[in-house]
Amino acid sequence: MIEFNLDRGSGVSTYLQLVHQVKQALRLGTLRPGDQLPTAREVVESLAINPNTVLKAYRELEREGLVEGRPGMGTFVRQGIAGATLAEHTRLRRGLQKWVRDARAAGLDQEDLRALFAVVLADTAKQDVA
Amino acid sequence: MRPALEVTGLGVRYRRTWVLRDCSLSVPTGRVAALVGPNGAGKTTLMHAAVGLLRPALGSVRVAGEAAFVAQDKPLYDGFTVAEMLAFGRRMNTRWDAAAAGRLAGLGIPLGRRVSGLSGGQQAQVAVTLALACRPDLLVLDEPLANLDPLARHDVMRSIMAEVSGRELTVLLSSHVVSDLEDTCDWLVVLNEGRLQVSGDIDELLDGHLVLTGPDGASAAGTRVVGASRTGRQVSMLVRGAPPLDPRWQARRPGLEELVMAYLRSPESAALPGLTGAGV
Amino acid sequence: MIWVTWRQHRAQILVTAGFLALLGALLLASAVEAGRYVAEHAPPGCPGPAVACGDLAVALGRRYDAVYSVFGWMPLVLPALIGAFWGAPLLGREYERGTHRLAWTQSVPVWRWLAVKLSVLGGAVVAGGLLLSLMVSLWRPVFRTGVDSTFGNIGVFNMVGVEPAAWWLYAFALGTAAGTLFRRTLPAMALVVAGVAVTMFTLFQLSDHYAEPARAELSGTVLLEDPDARLVSAAWVRPSGREVAEPSDSGCPRRVDAGHSSKNAEAWQACLFGKGYRYAVYYHPASRFWRFQWTEGGILALASAALGGLAVRRALRRPG
Repeated sequence: MIEFNLDRGSGVSTYLQLVHQVKQALRLGTLRPGDQLPTAREVVESLAINPNTVLKAYRELEREGLVEGRPGMGTFVRQGIAGATLAEHTRLRRGLQKWVRDARAAGLDQEDLRALFAVVLADTAKQDVA
Repeated sequence: MRPALEVTGLGVRYRRTWVLRDCSLSVPTGRVAALVGPNGAGKTTLMHAAVGLLRPALGSVRVAGEAAFVAQDKPLYDGFTVAEMLAFGRRMNTRWDAAAAGRLAGLGIPLGRRVSGLSGGQQAQVAVTLALACRPDLLVLDEPLANLDPLARHDVMRSIMAEVSGRELTVLLSSHVVSDLEDTCDWLVVLNEGRLQVSGDIDELLDGHLVLTGPDGASAAGTRVVGASRTGRQVSMLVRGAPPLDPRWQARRPGLEELVMAYLRSPESAALPGLTGAGV
Repeated sequence: MIWVTWRQHRAQILVTAGFLALLGALLLASAVEAGRYVAEHAPPGCPGPAVACGDLAVALGRRYDAVYSVFGWMPLVLPALIGAFWGAPLLGREYERGTHRLAWTQSVPVWRWLAVKLSVLGGAVVAGGLLLSLMVSLWRPVFRTGVDSTFGNIGVFNMVGVEPAAWWLYAFALGTAAGTLFRRTLPAMALVVAGVAVTMFTLFQLSDHYAEPARAELSGTVLLEDPDARLVSAAWVRPSGREVAEPSDSGCPRRVDAGHSSKNAEAWQACLFGKGYRYAVYYHPASRFWRFQWTEGGILALASAALGGLAVRRALRRPG
């Protein structure tokens, strides 16, 4: 089961935060196929948000094929997100830490690192599309 | 589907001053509508007209089904115990949800205590629970979050939102603090100086507007400017419609608060269904 | 709705009921004690007009006065209290606390809320007034049989028959209307007290005109023999038959009396009677008791209806 929480100052709309949190849980394996998502009422009772926001987030996840609504029963996870295994996670993380240390040694500060990372991420996304 | 609340050509006058003029709006069933505007904009008057506490001089207000109301100071009978307040609600209404007592007890509110002995947050909770327990089709709340601490705000909103998720309940709630409403409302009504300025679905409104930032002199042709501000050589404005052709503009989706503020600052602008012109 | 009315106004209802019970106990004790005194001390044929009954009459009179001094203020104070504590808060307090916006946005329509509250509380007030009247009417004859009736003394008159009920209802309606006028309790209470006092004075003045006064011509005395009658006015009648207020050219010398003596006035009156003058007295005899009761009761009931209507109209017109 997943418990949602909101970062109200983030500027990210509430429904997107819910979508991201479900995806994150799928990636980390805390949510697995067959698991039930909390009902709109349960989410509403813990977060005091508009139930339509929850329904909108669930619709978005359904559209992406990650979950499915079963009438009268609730919303269930259909498939996990194919991602790295935990071991691979650790390996990649070590690699990234090494890279960050190298970049620091080369004189880049926090801001520079972020900008560089964002540019590379955007470039690879473009290459993937192409 | 029939709207839960339909206001047509509403005009309300106190003595010689018009508090509300030519207001026409409708709130679809199942929506949580935010009624926003500065103090004295006519929010309370509109709500009183909706629940039958005043007779409009002009126009009409139609509620589909029964309406419940929580007034601004959340009035309760001081000398009554919480249980007696519930008995009051049960005897004064045709529909009654007997689970209300359990819900209050669940929130840690002692049913045997007098209303005057409750904290402000608890009183608000009792008032809201009372209004919800008569199972209204439309719940009207005048500044429900004013004077409440953050925890009480959360609890009150939770009760209301849980009820909305459980059945076809439409809510109209007023506030002059827009940030209170961001996560809870999906419909926006902006009143300013007794006139209706904005009425519509919040997502559609936000999608239909852009915040533009660019150099002074960039052309915003093709959009309808709601409001603009200049600092040095930079201009930022809130516009309605498609992004302008001039490539020097940076555009992004506005936040709810930005949108409301822009409209309140330029009372002559309006974004109403059936109206094509924003800005005159 | 009945439960709501009871719960909101039970303090007033209980205090009033308690007061009436206490008063009832007091009157009952006083009547029982007097009855026992009469049984033990009354000479045969008493109480009655016989000379031998004088002592008994004095003893009973003392007992009567002792109790009467306790509630002599009731005809004025009780309606004022009813108006201030039953009428004024009925709507004034709702407006003051904003609870009218709670009460009038439930399923029960405003007109029904008003109808139930006004009829239940108005009915209770009338019942209380009638109970007071009944108790006083049962208690008083124990002491005053053969002495006087309840017609002559306006204070006693206002505590028997339909008068207490009418006054209480009127004060209640006045308080309710005042509550809608000020939308606050305290000023409404003040208006009730002033209003009841003014109305009582006005009706006292007006009561002479409830009926055409009876006329009696006296000779040899200026005192009407009926102790229960209410005097309206008097005049001297010349031998020619013409009424004059002041027989100035009668030739009888009139000197001012000093102190408590009325010797000079009596001498002057005797002189006038001797010259063929008569004394005309206009009065209402005690037989008009019920006519006066119903007239005043009717006036107060009409005024109550008008004030109640005003309160309802104001409440319905601007319920917010």
